[in-house]
Amino acid sequence: MELERAGQRKKIERFIEKMPSLSTTVGKVLEICSRTDASPNELNKVISLDPVLTGQVLKLINSAYYSLINKITSLTRAITMLGMNTVKNMALSTAIIQSVAGSNKSKALPTSRFWVHSIGVGVSAKLLAIARGVPIQEREEYFIAGLLHDIGKVPFGDEYSQVLFIAGQEQRPLVDVEREFLGIDHQEVGELIAAKWKLSRAMTSSIGYHHDIELAEEDDRSLVAIVALANLYVNIHDIGFAGDPFPEYASADMLLSFAGLDWSDFAAISGKVEEEIQKAQIFLQV
Amino acid sequence: MMNVRFWGVRGSIPCPGPLTQKYGGNGACIELRVGDTGRLVIIDAGSGIRQLGNFLMQHDLPKGPIQAEIFLSHTHWDHIMGFPFFVPIYVPGSRLKVYGPVSFEDETLEEVVGGQMKYRYFPVNMGELRSSIEYIRLREEAARDHGDGLLLTTKFLNHPITALGYRFEYQGKSFCTCYDFEPFRNLFITDPEHPDYDEAMAVEGEEVAREQNQAMEDFFAGADLLVHDSQYTEAEMKSRVGWGHSSCEYAIAAARRAGVKRLALFHHDPDRTDAQIDAMAADYCIPSSAGDTEVFFAREGQVVEL
Repeated sequence: MELERAGQRKKIERFIEKMPSLSTTVGKVLEICSRTDASPNELNKVISLDPVLTGQVLKLINSAYYSLINKITSLTRAITMLGMNTVKNMALSTAIIQSVAGSNKSKALPTSRFWVHSIGVGVSAKLLAIARGVPIQEREEYFIAGLLHDIGKVPFGDEYSQVLFIAGQEQRPLVDVEREFLGIDHQEVGELIAAKWKLSRAMTSSIGYHHDIELAEEDDRSLVAIVALANLYVNIHDIGFAGDPFPEYASADMLLSFAGLDWSDFAAISGKVEEEIQKAQIFLQV
Repeated sequence: MMNVRFWGVRGSIPCPGPLTQKYGGNGACIELRVGDTGRLVIIDAGSGIRQLGNFLMQHDLPKGPIQAEIFLSHTHWDHIMGFPFFVPIYVPGSRLKVYGPVSFEDETLEEVVGGQMKYRYFPVNMGELRSSIEYIRLREEAARDHGDGLLLTTKFLNHPITALGYRFEYQGKSFCTCYDFEPFRNLFITDPEHPDYDEAMAVEGEEVAREQNQAMEDFFAGADLLVHDSQYTEAEMKSRVGWGHSSCEYAIAAARRAGVKRLALFHHDPDRTDAQIDAMAADYCIPSSAGDTEVFFAREGQVVEL
């Protein structure tokens, strides 16, 4: 058993080594978006370094959201007409999804349903952040934290099906069964990926501690709690699939208090989540 | 024939009081009457729409149920806050169509406008209204017939959220709105000495800004009446770049270039007193020579016949 676990862990570490680095573009876009003093020149330059990303951003801008009469054909034009913030948000969401989508190889978690779960947690986290009164320029961070929280499940191979089966049959938390059978849980795997991608500390915390919030640093707990609540919400409502067999209701009160929210805030996002998922899915289609 | 009446001319927040009595303290609301039937078009639901609603109850309702088309320039609060106080929405039989843009990531127009009618903000919930209200999202569109020969064009404006300018044309007369709007500008670094300077960006940024401002002028070219954002003076603009508004000087110059017949300066800053506006009028609204644009500061209650 011990040997088998060690072998599993090695396999996962090898998988992560081979995962593509977060492209320089995405790293830079993340950096620029987290600074309030970034200039239009910097934003423009960083996006245009990646022609694929540039194309996707322009396609999105010309999509149903804006329907300007004349198509926008350059980033300079997009920034002049729609402003820095709009272009920043689009670039960020597109870049992140571009670098993660498609890297999920396990049959245990069908890609499309896993992504619906991830997007669901992203939009729910953002809606909860709005309820919490998080300033508009910080909300995107909640969306991305939610989107990436389960990134640690991506490297698991087909043996993950067995983990899901046992967790379901024995009604146990997924992280426990992962530790027992794979010697590592998806939070820890996620942290390894976050380190490789040089994600921010808060982002890494939400990936690493969304099932163990008390281990997160105090400054990050509000974000981690909101992501955990968003995860709970999406699991309760059966939106997409990420393998969690039973929503962890027991932790809800603690999470709400860390998040600075109450049950009514939690209930109030219902109805908006599905609609936001529809909107966010456009990023996957570009 | 079209008639225009201003029910609210202020920007940002209503500002009643002795210092604003002459020009009025209510937020944006314009009544447009079209043709012999007096078809009712309302632009914006700032606090001025309350008195328009009362007027309609007294003068229009006795002739039959109230029908109105409300065009919102955008959904910033000063342009929608009067909606819950527009009495016709409570009257069974009223038929209203609310048109307007919504921004990326926003909810539907109904949720944005109706969102202020929740118990935490207001004692009546949207769902309790007895009138029939239809919400229609608008985008930028070329001229099209909006029914009975009323031609409508919408134009994307430069403002922190999606805002639209409207152009209504009827039997050879035209009425345009262009607020809330800040002239497009080159956002890119233009100083060649700056380490991040990029010539291509600087040149294209300049070109796009010029072209978009030209498109704005084409949009309101030759209008019989243009209502244009003029919240600030050119001197005040220096510390208010990016707030999404224009200066009086810019509005006047643009209207002249575009051959506008009459220009109503609109969306006055809430801190602007009657005395200050009168002083500005003395500078800006000099009697025009024949063929020149006639300029005036819009005043609450003012009627303009087209």
